[in-house]
Amino acid sequence: MTMNASALPGLFNRYRDRFAAEKQALIELDGKVGDSDLGLTMAKGFAAAAAALEEKAPETLADGMKTAGAAIAKAAPSTMGTLMATGFLRGAKALDGAEVMDTAALADFWAAFRDGIAQRGKAQLGDKTVLDVLHPVAETIAAQAQAGASPAEASHAAAQAAKEALEATKEMEAQHGKAAAFGEKSKGIQDAGGTVACILIEETSAALGA
Amino acid sequence: MKKFLNKPEDFVEEMLEGIYAAHPEVTHVADDLHCFVTANPVPGKVGIVTGGGSGHLPLFLGYVGDGMLDGAGVGGVFQSPSSDQILEVTKHVDQGAGVLYLYGNYSGDIMNFDLAGELAEVDDIETATVVGNDDVASSKPGEEHKRRGVAGIVFLYKVAGAAAAEMKPLSEVVRLTEKAKARTRTMGVALTPCIVPEVGKPSFTLGEDEMEIGMGIHGEPGITRKTLEPADAVVDEMMERIFAEQDYAAGDEVAIIVNGLGATPMEELYIFYRRISQLFAERNVTIAQVWIGEFATSMEMAGASISVLHLDDELKPLIERSATTPFFKHIAK
Repeated sequence: MTMNASALPGLFNRYRDRFAAEKQALIELDGKVGDSDLGLTMAKGFAAAAAALEEKAPETLADGMKTAGAAIAKAAPSTMGTLMATGFLRGAKALDGAEVMDTAALADFWAAFRDGIAQRGKAQLGDKTVLDVLHPVAETIAAQAQAGASPAEASHAAAQAAKEALEATKEMEAQHGKAAAFGEKSKGIQDAGGTVACILIEETSAALGA
Repeated sequence: MKKFLNKPEDFVEEMLEGIYAAHPEVTHVADDLHCFVTANPVPGKVGIVTGGGSGHLPLFLGYVGDGMLDGAGVGGVFQSPSSDQILEVTKHVDQGAGVLYLYGNYSGDIMNFDLAGELAEVDDIETATVVGNDDVASSKPGEEHKRRGVAGIVFLYKVAGAAAAEMKPLSEVVRLTEKAKARTRTMGVALTPCIVPEVGKPSFTLGEDEMEIGMGIHGEPGITRKTLEPADAVVDEMMERIFAEQDYAAGDEVAIIVNGLGATPMEELYIFYRRISQLFAERNVTIAQVWIGEFATSMEMAGASISVLHLDDELKPLIERSATTPFFKHIAK
C-alpha cells in the first residue's frame, strides 16, 4: 500500500503498541549501561503522539509528522524523546508538499530524520548510538528508491539492514551519554537507541504492508 | 551540607514560589512554575527568552523585566529546561515580531532551545538564537564557539533588551547582540566548591590555601590551580588574559561587571574593582559603566569573575538605557 495523511494515525498506533510491548525490555537494556528510562520515554512519547493524531486528523503527511514530533517533545523531554521529536519534525519538513509516501518521499523522510538526530545529538557513526541504525536505514531506502522499489520493498529491505546494523552495535564501544562511562563494558550489548530505530523501521515496514 | 531547605527536591519550586510572591511584575504560564514570563509584555516588541539551570540567581530569570528579557525557561539545579517549557514561554512572549533565544553555551540548553525553535516554527513564530560564550578560560582563541557562557551574558541581555525596547526588528536585535557578544570577555576564579541540594556534597574540592583560575559556574575545571595569591596578583593574572584577547586603545570605553559567585563578600569584589580600575587607567581606557555584585552565581561557591564589554558608539547607548527587573535596576544618566 502507499501511505497518505489518513494512514498516519494507524502508523503511530503501531508505534505506540510496539513501544508499550517493548517497554520492559527497553528498560532492562538501557539499565545495563544507562539510567533505565528509555522504555518509559518511548512508551510515553509514542502514546502521546498517537493520541495527538487521533485527536486531530492530519491534513497532510507533513502536518501529521509535525503533530507527532511536537507531542513527543512535550510528553518525553529526555534526550531520546528530544531526538525522536527532532527526527519527526525534520522528517515533516522533508515531506512538505508530498501527498503520498512513495519510495522517494520515504527516502527523503528517513534521510531528514537521520540528519536531524545526528545534528542535534552530535554523535558520529560508530559511537554506538541510534545513528548507527538510522544511517543504514536511510541509505538502504535511498538505494531502493534509486532502484525503483516500492515503498513496501524499500522499507522491508531497510528493516533487514536495521537488524544487521543493530547486531553490529554489539561490537562497538559507547562514546556518548551515560553509556560512555561504561566504555569497554558496553561491548557485547546491543545499543538501546539503535534498538529504538530498529523498532521504528520494522513497524513502518509492517504498516506499508511488507 | 548546611542549607536553608524544606526538602531538597522542592528547592527550585519553592524558590520560584518565593519569587512570584515577592515580584508581581513576573508570573508563569502553562500552569508550570518553570515557565517564567513578564506580566507586562509590550505589543509589537521582539520577545527575548533565556533559560538554563537553577542555582545561578540572578541568572537567568532575574533579568526578566522592563528593558531586558521577556521570559525564561527555568530548569532544575544545573539542568536545562525542557523544550516544551521553552516553547510555552516563547508562545507567551511572542508579540508578532519574533523571539530571540539568548542563553549560555551548554549542550543541554542548546538541544532544548533548538528544538523549541523548531516547535515554535510549527506555530508560525519566528525565532533567532544567540549563544553567549564569554568565558575566556573554557577554550583557546580561535575556538570561541566552544566557550561557556557566564556572567558576561548579562551585557548581552542588556544590549538585546535595550535594542528590543527601542522596537528594532529581530534581525537588528540579533546583529547588535552578536556584536556585544564578540566584544565581551569574562575570566573567573574560584576559592571553594558549590553543593547541589539534591546531591548534598561538594562536586569537587579545593585545598584551604588553593584557588582555581578559570573554573566554570558548575565547577568545570579551569586553567590552573595554585596557591592563593594577593588580590591584586589574582586580578592581574585574570586581566592579562582578557587584555590578550581584546585591543583596547587609549580613549576607548568599556563596561565592567565584577561578579560574586555566591559566597564572596562585596568588600572583596570592590578590592578586585580597585585593581581593575587601575589597570584600565594605565591604558587610558574609560570605564563608562560598572556593575559590582552578584549577577551569575554558583550556589555557595566562593569566587569572583570579571567581565569586560568593549563599547562602541552603537553599544554604549544600549548599555546605558534604563532597565528594571526584580534583580537588576539601572537608571539612565
